[in-house]
Amino acid sequence: MKKKKSINITSYVPYIGLALTVIVFAIITEGKTISGINLKILTNQIIVTALVAIGAVYAFASGALDLSLSGSVALSAIAGVVIGLRYESFMVMIVTTIIVSFLIALFKGVVAAYLKLPIFIVTIVFGGILSAIGLVLLGKETTLSVRSLVNVSNMTWINITFVAVFYLFALYIFNYTKIGKSCKLQGGNLLAASQLGINAKKNIIIAFLVGGIGVALAAIIILLQTKTATATTGGSVGINIMIAIVLGGMPLSGGPRSKMSAAIIGAVTISVLNNGLAVIGVGTGVVQIVRSVVFLVVVFITSLSYRTKLLPR
Amino acid sequence: MYTLEKHQILFEAKKIRKVFGPTVAVDDVDLTIYAGEVRGLIGENGSGKSTISSIIAGMQKPNSGSMQFKGKTYNPVNMIEGGQLGIGMIVQEKGTVPGITIAQNIFLGSENQFKKYGLINKKAMNQAAKQVLENIGINDVDPNQVIDILDMQDQKLVEVAKVMNQNPDILIVDETTTALSHRGRDIIYGILERMRKEGKSVVFISHDLQETMEHCDALTVLRDGKLIATVEKEDMEENQIKQYMVGREVSGHYYRADNKASYEDQVILDIDKLTTGKGLLLNFSAQLHKGEILGIGGLSHCGMHELGRAVFGEEHIVTGSVTHVPSGEKIENAQVAVKHQMGYVSKNRDSEALVLTANIRDNIVGAGYDQVSQKFGYISPKDEAEYVNRMVEALDIKCASIDQDVKYLSGGNKQKVVFGKWLGRDSKILILDCPTRGVDIGVKAAMYQLMEEMKAKGASILLISEELTELIGMSDRLIIIKDGKISGEITRGEEMTENNVIDLLI
Repeated sequence: MKKKKSINITSYVPYIGLALTVIVFAIITEGKTISGINLKILTNQIIVTALVAIGAVYAFASGALDLSLSGSVALSAIAGVVIGLRYESFMVMIVTTIIVSFLIALFKGVVAAYLKLPIFIVTIVFGGILSAIGLVLLGKETTLSVRSLVNVSNMTWINITFVAVFYLFALYIFNYTKIGKSCKLQGGNLLAASQLGINAKKNIIIAFLVGGIGVALAAIIILLQTKTATATTGGSVGINIMIAIVLGGMPLSGGPRSKMSAAIIGAVTISVLNNGLAVIGVGTGVVQIVRSVVFLVVVFITSLSYRTKLLPR
Repeated sequence: MYTLEKHQILFEAKKIRKVFGPTVAVDDVDLTIYAGEVRGLIGENGSGKSTISSIIAGMQKPNSGSMQFKGKTYNPVNMIEGGQLGIGMIVQEKGTVPGITIAQNIFLGSENQFKKYGLINKKAMNQAAKQVLENIGINDVDPNQVIDILDMQDQKLVEVAKVMNQNPDILIVDETTTALSHRGRDIIYGILERMRKEGKSVVFISHDLQETMEHCDALTVLRDGKLIATVEKEDMEENQIKQYMVGREVSGHYYRADNKASYEDQVILDIDKLTTGKGLLLNFSAQLHKGEILGIGGLSHCGMHELGRAVFGEEHIVTGSVTHVPSGEKIENAQVAVKHQMGYVSKNRDSEALVLTANIRDNIVGAGYDQVSQKFGYISPKDEAEYVNRMVEALDIKCASIDQDVKYLSGGNKQKVVFGKWLGRDSKILILDCPTRGVDIGVKAAMYQLMEEMKAKGASILLISEELTELIGMSDRLIIIKDGKISGEITRGEEMTENNVIDLLI
């Protein structure tokens, strides 16, 4: 029996895409995008997207498209700030952020497991509700500052630790334990997975809870970095994650082809893209358009190769 | 105008080659079809017969090779063009579109002929559809009905009518008869006869060697993508053809040799007054013993497939229970079932038993995470590969590597993967629902041998099947279900004959 692992060109496409994005923007901006200062800004942007994406891979892999990530990050951060300011405590702020993001994740998980509803529709609506609750909490304020509570100046090590530890933890569970492996199987074929004796309901709840860790960590990083919570906190996280996962080479429909590396590669690519466009001086409106076009193009290309693979023998 | 004369070359393929990744599905095959012949195409799963016929129909393109049809180069871009040029195909899978009427299905893509002032004249279309159906001998179907009201078999016949309406010069029939009952088969055979008389040709693909020998003028045998031999009707000899198909000599017997029931008294599964949610199975009770093969037979909708799922805890039940007797625990879902070393092989292989987008490794190990997990739930890729490779070798699964996606495997190899899931974790109770459906004789023989080995080791098997010969060949006891209720039980021995079983069925 041959044990050769077939080399698949398509698995390198995300890396090539990333390299091209970096090179193109470096050339257009005459090296501004790869200058020291910009790299620091870029890193901060990557971290938030990467953290949420790592967690989101689980639900996506299980076949649950979570479109409420922006709202989840926003509400977790705003709730943390509001409660933290009331008790004037940094710890209370952090703990509140964590608890709120877990409650949101638990709710999504239970709905996905027990209500027979298309989960992406539920999360679209739910994401809107979460953002709205955030706005209600903010009240008349447009910006709540937590400079009185947060006393962190250098984010570098916190950033690296958060991403590295969470990535390794998520990667381990995803690729080397029953939980991660069965998530991928149920994303591929729910009926077949449950006939294997896989507890699909439990899995989907766990998947959303891991997603909750990502949301909590991202919300904390946002608070430490910006030291504020505003109506737009977390606003573009949702679309960034979707694009990141696709650019990272994972199908949005999840299943066995899901991979943890997509979260990191994709987060870096989309952040380089966003950041590069900003450096060029393109307005936020145009950035959104470009981002969406890139998303559609990538989805189109991946669906093309998907179709040819489905041809009958 | 090209006129058809008997025994003239109608279609010729030269050096057709088709490759899927590392697999060569069709390997430089030359095929010549004469006018007025019914040509059988036969071979094991994965021999390339479906691939070459789909190439002829225009469903996919060969990597190399050329085709001539009616004296002209033939190179269709898709099935529609193939159909317009005169080659029609009835596919193996379901080819009807749900949610629209029977008439709309028949004239799908050619509705324009009924257009009047920009609107479709539904009445004319229904009228025409009725005629099309009657042409192949179906008189009892209203074409204005939504197609979903028809069962699988009648939907297949609508497809047949649709293809025949295009008046093809070559008709390709891919494993269609396996899904059909006697009436459906007779309709197909009638079409074969008519095509032959009109000097047209049929390429007839079937697993059933008897059937092909009976209805074909010549048989072409494929093996591993290569054309092995073409045998004329007068030279057809069953054992010789079988040998061509598998490449070695095949002994006549593949069922159990003994003719006496043999199992222990110990009850393993107690099925007690089971009624399923859809009401297909009513108040069903039976006991499965240690080392027993309990056959369950009946017509397709008698409730036996629901029984299989219910015993595994995967069907909604209204009353009754299934108890794993040694532990006393009730089987309420698949998790409990798997915990008690039960395994289930679904009739719907692609939609229920396999994750098609996953590779062989993930599919097989999917049922055995507890077998390979170490401390903290760690699963080492090396242990996993070892576990899966053991099954690949034991079952002789033909694949390039265990990291190959199962959707690229042939039907028989897919089924072996499904068995591998349950053999890997050393299952003691197997529920097999039509386990040899759509697999070739080679794999079939291997499956029967496997059942015998498992039985000898004390495993219990619930064998649900629509094939009487298989049930009679393998069962210790055979329960026949009719309309959800037990209509009789026969113990292995003199009494277990096809006639007695058919009496209980009808």
